[in-house]
Amino acid sequence: MADYSVVWPRGEKAQDLQALAPRLDSLEGKRVAFLWDYLFRGDEIFPMLADGLAERYPGVDFIGYDVFGSTHGDEEREIVASLPDRLQELRADAVISGMGC
Amino acid sequence: MLRVSAVAEAAGVPSSSLVCEGFVGQAGTTAVGLGMPNLPLAPVAGHVDTQTDNELRSNVLGETLDAVIANLTEPPEEAVETVEPEPRDIVFEGSFEEVNRLFYENRWSDGLPVVPPSVEKIERFLAFSDRPADTVLGKIPPDNRAATVWNVAANGVMAGCRPEYMPVLVALAEAMADPEYGVEHSGNTPGAETLITVNGPIAKALGFNYEQGALRDGFQANTSVGRFWRLYLRNVAGFIPHETDKGTFGNTWRVALAENEDVLKRIGWPNTATDMGLPEGANAVTISRYTGGDVVTSVFGRRAEEMLPYLADALVKQSGWELVFTVGMATGTYRPLLVLSPILAETIAASGLSKDDMRDWLFEHARMPARKFERYISGWTNLVPGHRSLTELAALGKAPRVFAESDDPDRMVPIVCEPDDFAIAVAGDPLRTNAYVFAHNGILGFPVSREIELPADWEARLAVAG
Repeated sequence: MADYSVVWPRGEKAQDLQALAPRLDSLEGKRVAFLWDYLFRGDEIFPMLADGLAERYPGVDFIGYDVFGSTHGDEEREIVASLPDRLQELRADAVISGMGC
Repeated sequence: MLRVSAVAEAAGVPSSSLVCEGFVGQAGTTAVGLGMPNLPLAPVAGHVDTQTDNELRSNVLGETLDAVIANLTEPPEEAVETVEPEPRDIVFEGSFEEVNRLFYENRWSDGLPVVPPSVEKIERFLAFSDRPADTVLGKIPPDNRAATVWNVAANGVMAGCRPEYMPVLVALAEAMADPEYGVEHSGNTPGAETLITVNGPIAKALGFNYEQGALRDGFQANTSVGRFWRLYLRNVAGFIPHETDKGTFGNTWRVALAENEDVLKRIGWPNTATDMGLPEGANAVTISRYTGGDVVTSVFGRRAEEMLPYLADALVKQSGWELVFTVGMATGTYRPLLVLSPILAETIAASGLSKDDMRDWLFEHARMPARKFERYISGWTNLVPGHRSLTELAALGKAPRVFAESDDPDRMVPIVCEPDDFAIAVAGDPLRTNAYVFAHNGILGFPVSREIELPADWEARLAVAG
């Protein structure tokens, strides 16, 4: 006979699965927004990515991270809350977010 | 960073998230909690901070660039919902050893034996709350699971708490869910650990130790409540080492600290909960996350002015990279803690100093050369990119003027933005002249207090519990 009958100690998921945005056919002619947490050499990495993307897609355009401000820090909540409107206002087609290190 | 990508995706904008190689696992599990397990990642080889410019460029323009393009243009794998047990489902039946093996193998325990969470044991805890078991206390990232009265009780049982600790545990879960605290940052690499401070008559009623050995294990209330916190972070928030918990070293959970309310009352100083804005005499918990601490031994002197320089020096020595929370990353959010033994607090108070007077003194005297401050935030680290001086940061409105009173790199600048940023508590051996200083983790564990809600007939229930 078992001594103990036990329950699961975790909690119910409070976040439903969410669909991702549709992907782009190509980056040619698209506007890519850089979003940065102002950590781990993003100021060097984003320009490198811009160079690489522009080489493959000459018509690609970029929105710099400084347009949004740091996505990690004292203004984080306000910046994240306003992001959907800002992306629409700036006509961003895609986002590259860094740096997770 | 991933939360930003998730917001963009929800707004209909495809994203690519740049993640250093060692953090891909953490990103994957965090994405599950965001409801987007298929959120696309673009790995960056190694860790960027140690790479030469050429190495970094080669890595970014190689694997990372290709991944970014794929993230934005190729359909991701379809996300699949997983089925999980209901709260009262019996997930296993077996012996003590078998239950503990199962919990360890499923990473539901911290490696020490847990008390098996049976329905019967959980219901004993529920008897110390007037709230229904399914009451949702909040949603806790990164797993984004519901904190409920039920799962608070389950983890309290596992931690070795007594049922009557339940009101304290519920208040802790509510505090953990408060966005001000920033629990989502509990897996960051400094691996800081929360300190729980307990105030009010409940500390004595539940047998919390607040005298000698105040931060030592060996007292059931202090020890098991501290362990509950870490188990709840694991099982409900979802912080698991090698996944969402990326503390480079980490450390064991902290024993809960109870303040010596008798001494505080005698010298007329407010306790931590009152400092945090709660009513005088309230039963309360305060949580705050500290990167580390050190003891200040044998503070010598008969008056405050003889003791305070040593305490100020200890606060300065304990503050390094954390100063990025004073100026830089999240200006004005550094809250170092000084725990005074009762005899120190009594001697300082007898010199005529209130707690506020002491904070004012520390603000003026716990200082370091601006040159060294700048090294911590953007020289030795790269936490504030651009290598801007404090004077330049002040000119940009990113640092208070006190940090830019001259251009002299050897001028002395404070370690916090204002006197109220120093937290002061009183506990420990009543007759030993030692103190303890804790460096704080800023917005990655900002101080939050919660009043403890007692059930209607608390005294009677407590008497029955014995």
